[in-house]
Amino acid sequence: MAMAKTLLQKINKLYAVNAKKKKYSFSLPLEDRIKVDKKEFDIKLKEDDKLGTYILWKNRKYPVEVVFKRQNKYEILLNGVSYTFTIETPTSMKRLRFISRKKGSSDKEVIKAPMPGKIIDVLVQEDAEIRKGEPILILEAMKMQNEIQSTVAGKITAVHVKANDSVMKDEILIEIKKK
Amino acid sequence: MKIKRLLIANRGEIAVRIIKSAKALGIETVVIKTSAEPSAIYVREADIVHDDTDDVSEIPVFLDIERLIEIALEHEVDAVHPGYGFLAENAYFAQKCMDNRLMFIGPSPDAIYKLGNKTIARQIALRNKVPMATGSRGTIRSTDEAIKVAERIGYPVIVKAASGGGGRGMRIAWNEEELPQMLRLAQNEAEKAFNDPNVFIEKYIANPKHIEFQILGDTKGDVIHLGERECSIQRKHQKLLEEAPSSALSPELREEMGEVAVRLAKAVRYHSAGTVEFLLDSNGEYYFMEMNTRIQVEHPVTELITGVDLIEKQIRIAAGEPLGLTQDDIKLNGWAIECRINAEDVQAGFAPSPGMIEKLSFPDMDFVRVDSGIEEGSAIASNFDSMIAKLIVSGENRDEAIANCRKALDKVWVKGIKTTIPFFKLLMKHPVFVGGDFTTGFIENDLEQYHEAKAEEEQVAAWFATKLFVEEKTADSDATVDFEQGKKMDPWLLNKRLNQF
Repeated sequence: MAMAKTLLQKINKLYAVNAKKKKYSFSLPLEDRIKVDKKEFDIKLKEDDKLGTYILWKNRKYPVEVVFKRQNKYEILLNGVSYTFTIETPTSMKRLRFISRKKGSSDKEVIKAPMPGKIIDVLVQEDAEIRKGEPILILEAMKMQNEIQSTVAGKITAVHVKANDSVMKDEILIEIKKK
Repeated sequence: MKIKRLLIANRGEIAVRIIKSAKALGIETVVIKTSAEPSAIYVREADIVHDDTDDVSEIPVFLDIERLIEIALEHEVDAVHPGYGFLAENAYFAQKCMDNRLMFIGPSPDAIYKLGNKTIARQIALRNKVPMATGSRGTIRSTDEAIKVAERIGYPVIVKAASGGGGRGMRIAWNEEELPQMLRLAQNEAEKAFNDPNVFIEKYIANPKHIEFQILGDTKGDVIHLGERECSIQRKHQKLLEEAPSSALSPELREEMGEVAVRLAKAVRYHSAGTVEFLLDSNGEYYFMEMNTRIQVEHPVTELITGVDLIEKQIRIAAGEPLGLTQDDIKLNGWAIECRINAEDVQAGFAPSPGMIEKLSFPDMDFVRVDSGIEEGSAIASNFDSMIAKLIVSGENRDEAIANCRKALDKVWVKGIKTTIPFFKLLMKHPVFVGGDFTTGFIENDLEQYHEAKAEEEQVAAWFATKLFVEEKTADSDATVDFEQGKKMDPWLLNKRLNQF
């Protein structure tokens, strides 16, 4: 872990990159000021009993919390709105650009649970041919039945759930080999 | 007959709401404490608590008729208030209460049954010249029959659960290919939700407004309406925001629709509070949809513009008191908007977001009313309704109500779970909503995203994420670094961070 410190000491910049690859750059050491449209504003991390941790920004309070963190990936809930970033150093940023250029399109499609719930019915079987938009299973969440449809046309290669299974959000349900 | 003590066969914000009106009337309340939420607000607010935390049965006590009757008798209550949801529209429950000489705070079992069964309700509406969309004469028995009926009335059609309500058990079919599947889905959902797989088919009115009328009737046969509520802001037939009155109704149309609603209620000798739901199309034609035989989630907007306490009226009517109001007494004053604060992640298509409320703060403003069943520390369980609180805002007129709503939303703070608040912030600034000319298709057709997003705020969040990253890296290498600059850290945040390593 001593490496991490040296790493931060050597570099003068960090990037917060959102899901759409938009990046926000911050100089190190990190200051309590950020620049918006060429103007600088104070930004303060504060805390009180009413809101817990919050950010004071342009005289407004923004309650803030970490919803999820893994390695350099953060999901931040700022005033109820979720933002996801990966934090990159100038070196990892270059590597990221390189990888995204090299990454070709995969022929495998993975259907994940859009929300936690219970599987009511699985409408397809392994090896079945499927059209785009065809219903593949029915997921019940908060007493509503939701039909999960195939996002692509292709052949079912794996079915990971059965009726009455409970699933978590983003759990893999079905894998499809694209046509 | 006088009510001295009543059992609330419900939980959450509506239980808290009923306690409030009961207290004002000097009536003792009995509530049921469950193991799912033993320290809920409604448990603390009630006079008498029935401890049901040892109950290990599969079905929730609020759906268990025999248990509820036992509890009511054990605590010697005079009346039972069902709230909304659960058994509120169960004719058998109402009958069971009466059989045990308990007053059921709601309409008669007969009215609940007739209006609750959509095919019977349609026949009653037809006889009483209530405008309706064309549809099947009764229950659909087979796919073939469904196809024949749909051909006769023309696509698109909507398949609806005969015992439906609350927006469940409804599916739209745009053509013959879709119909068999939609029929099956509606039947499945109806069977699960209402224990009755029967469905019927109706012409689907595309992009209407959802307008409903609040009805009050007494046991002597007097019925009045308290104006309309506009409930067109909905997603998958689930209402998200309601307002009263509606900008779509002229005084003439209000009077006409109100009279129709009263006529329907009188036809079933309706007493207590009820709601007649209509669809209003762009030509000003309206169609009866259903009548809900209970207090509605959105009743506060009507209370705010009429000054009538609907729960109090329900209780008084159940006790045999006359309405004490005539149609002329009802004057609509100002405007009210209700935002349903649901534990839902609007950025993930309104997916449920259960969890623990870490921080909760509502504004203290004179135009704000909050009906809430939660507080800091409340656990939002995924097996109960996702609606956790209602923010009800009023103003002199619609523009002022919207402006007030914006102010209020800026001061509602929730931590620990995701809620629908970012959606309402977006809505309050959306030109279509502000203009008032929106339909039930608004959310699905006109919105590309469901929350207010400001690039600037994303940058603020990015700064926070970067700060955490820097602090973690620094803390990793040197444990003595005071990475919160000497401030006490949010214990929850600290805990969450510790768990991540």
